[in-house]
Amino acid sequence: MVEVAAAFVAWLGVSLVVLSDARRGLALGTLLAAAGLAGVALPEAGPAGGLALVAGGAVAAARRFTAGPGGWGILPPGSTPRLILCVAGGLLALWVGLAVMTGEGAALRFAVMSGVGLAGARALSSADTSVAQTAFAVLALAVAAGAALGADAGVWPFLAGAGAAVAVTWAPGRVQRAA
Amino acid sequence: MLPESIELLALAAFALAIALVFMPDRSPRRRLALQGGAGLAGTAAVAAVPTFDLALLVLVLLAVFQAALEGRRPTAACLKAPGVAVALLALAAVFARVGGPELIHRFAAVGLGAGLAAALGLLPYLHVFDPEEPVTASPIGWLAFVGPVLAAVIVAGAQGLLPADAGAAFGAVLIGLGVVNMAWGSLAAWLTESNGAAWRYSFVADWGLALCGFGLTLADGRRAALLVLFTVVLGRLPLYLASRQAGKDRVVTERPVNLLVAAALAGSAPFAGFAARVLLLRGATQLFWPLALVLALVMLLWLPGSLRLGRSMGLPRGRQALGVALVLALNVAAGLYPLPLLAGARL
Repeated sequence: MVEVAAAFVAWLGVSLVVLSDARRGLALGTLLAAAGLAGVALPEAGPAGGLALVAGGAVAAARRFTAGPGGWGILPPGSTPRLILCVAGGLLALWVGLAVMTGEGAALRFAVMSGVGLAGARALSSADTSVAQTAFAVLALAVAAGAALGADAGVWPFLAGAGAAVAVTWAPGRVQRAA
Repeated sequence: MLPESIELLALAAFALAIALVFMPDRSPRRRLALQGGAGLAGTAAVAAVPTFDLALLVLVLLAVFQAALEGRRPTAACLKAPGVAVALLALAAVFARVGGPELIHRFAAVGLGAGLAAALGLLPYLHVFDPEEPVTASPIGWLAFVGPVLAAVIVAGAQGLLPADAGAAFGAVLIGLGVVNMAWGSLAAWLTESNGAAWRYSFVADWGLALCGFGLTLADGRRAALLVLFTVVLGRLPLYLASRQAGKDRVVTERPVNLLVAAALAGSAPFAGFAARVLLLRGATQLFWPLALVLALVMLLWLPGSLRLGRSMGLPRGRQALGVALVLALNVAAGLYPLPLLAGARL
């Protein structure tokens, strides 16, 4: 039951990243996604791996909270396609993870697939640096959580995912040179 | 670390050294050394990490590093294609690892092929390209510097992740992507307006050959892919760097050196590209002879684009001329006697 709730929190967090254009919404989405992904990966990742994911997500969220466009920016005008993407992507991941794939860890499969898919779509569709960096950070966390599906992942993928998420959000945006 | 990756890494380091030693005096050598060295370290990390997931996370860091360099594209534009690549590869890894119908593993094969194309910047995921952008910050860095090692790692990872049937599907995906990139890249290198864009498309065409080689799943295919990647890293990349100066000065010449460069770029004998093409055609004939026919026809498209690129080199002078001569000599040596190169990668 805890894993199911964690998977839902992860999907909700990534959806917030998709649906928000401003720092508070992006920060909250990152934090929720990290907490949810850590929850579903906990049985395989262990306490150290789970803690690493939460810590990485928290630091990335803190950075996003202090940089980027101000406000919440959730569901701005014209975001209906993104809302549909979140709902449809979540349903698709749920169907594939639950009904098509077999074996233990359905919650982990759902969380990783929805996290990777939605964060990847957000990175592809955004023209704003802070949004793209946040999507990339969540993508890194979801990739790290996906390592829990592999045999004997160890703690390194989770530490690396957390480190990547922090590095992504703290990296400077590219300076554009005039032609 | 895979022997193939170690060799490709060494080739990339050598290409960086050639660029640093033989670039014109007025070029920013220190910046290239720092950024190229960091890129090389990241590429080594991709090859050295023990798991596929860790390689993806290093790829994330490499993309962010490149997006932070001074360039002309905004950060978000730089992160798009690597983001798609990492997402596709991560989804493919999930699909490959879980139980379920056989179709799931075939989706994983498609995801791995598509993710590889997106990471490299090949069709159908061509990165946004600006010919005026510094090379380290441009998509050429993915195509010619990071890409060869990355491709070796992803193909090896795919072989570890996928069962045999899906492995065959992965090979088919690579061959399909390879033929499309060969045809599109060579035609675009010939017909596009800008010389800078023509160089980029010529890299895409070469990558088409390499993907076909990887997809053949025969020893000859892997050998051909390695030789193609050699020509990309130690042939096309240094020649492209040399051509950038001529491109800035808008110089187009038709001297013997331009013809030699065109011959090397077109993969004619005795350059390394010729040996790669022979191996590729031999492997394709063993697998399915009509494929060899298609590949041979598409290979003819290299000629007009290569002549154009050869002319765009201008007339190299001073240390740059020495660099071009060294590159051509290396390509002749690898074309005449590729065995040490292949033995180093245990192929």
